[in-house]
Amino acid sequence: MIEDDELITDDNIARVRDLLACMQKGNEEDAIEIIDELTTIRETELYQDMGKLTRELHDAISNFGMDDSINIMAEQSIPDARERLKYVISKTDEAANKTLEAVEESIPICDNLNNKASELHESWKKFTNRELSADEFRTLSKDISHFFDKTAELGTVKDHLTSVLLAQEYQDLTGQIIKKVINLVGEVEDKLVGLIKITGAPQVTKKSGGDAGTLDGPPVPGIAHKDTVSGQDEVDDLLSSLGF
Amino acid sequence: MKILVVDDFSTMRRIIKNLLRDLGFNNTDEADDGLTALPMLKTGKYDLLVTDWNMPGMQGIDLLKAVRADENLQNIPVLMVTAEQKKEQIVEAAQAGVNGYIVKPFTALILKEKLEKIFARIG
Repeated sequence: MIEDDELITDDNIARVRDLLACMQKGNEEDAIEIIDELTTIRETELYQDMGKLTRELHDAISNFGMDDSINIMAEQSIPDARERLKYVISKTDEAANKTLEAVEESIPICDNLNNKASELHESWKKFTNRELSADEFRTLSKDISHFFDKTAELGTVKDHLTSVLLAQEYQDLTGQIIKKVINLVGEVEDKLVGLIKITGAPQVTKKSGGDAGTLDGPPVPGIAHKDTVSGQDEVDDLLSSLGF
Repeated sequence: MKILVVDDFSTMRRIIKNLLRDLGFNNTDEADDGLTALPMLKTGKYDLLVTDWNMPGMQGIDLLKAVRADENLQNIPVLMVTAEQKKEQIVEAAQAGVNGYIVKPFTALILKEKLEKIFARIG
């Protein structure tokens, strides 16, 4: 910007007076000369201003680069965060598989014991109703003894339950890691805002609505979702409104 | 009754398989996306398709459309089990001919209800 006091100087006022006098006299040649003079003065100041602005921008960008934290972020923290998130995936995967294994091995044991217990219950009812023959009673007594042996497998089920319990440790570990990554994302956001301020880029307005083709994945609490249903009941309502 | 379970996450396939087994469906196979699933379906061995939506390769909705466009497969009941909860997506799946739509996370009871509904309808 050209300051008023830089433009309105005695010299410049004299020049304008001369210009007016030349024009009134019809002296075109001198008038053009004075206009050129004034233009040169004006351009020089403009270039000085531009130079100053360029210097400021340069300094700002250099300072931005010299800010160690941003280098650390780019070279260390972000790759680090990537590794952390990979670890979260592997931890949750491991926990899910450990849990599923334990459950898959426990279900048949429970089913088996449950079926055996039902059978024994039937026989026992017959016994108390005095409907069992001596032979049948001997079989029942053998079955009961066999069942007691089988109940030892409940120890295995308990072990599996303990392993399910332990597998839940992933929540604590992954929670801490994700918290760190959230903090990092916050820092990166601050730096980016700083960069946008320096470059003076116009504020980007968020596009409203998403593309029809993109998939949102699971709804995340705390993030607004447009035109989504919440839960199975609303899905069922929507589908039944479509004649399902 | 042979069922094909399609999901890109092995743990989700395993959960669905376990739930199905609990409901008495022991005969299940797995595929990790539509591209793998479609040739399996074309063998004609399957009576029901349970599929996720969001998968790499071929997505569940495209698999559904491909099934409905194939004259040998078009009558297979398709149950979608997905985290996608956008109304327009549910409508899209309905228009593409889905037989049931379950949103994750879901319960064993919901899976049971939807399967019963599907089987009641096809008789």
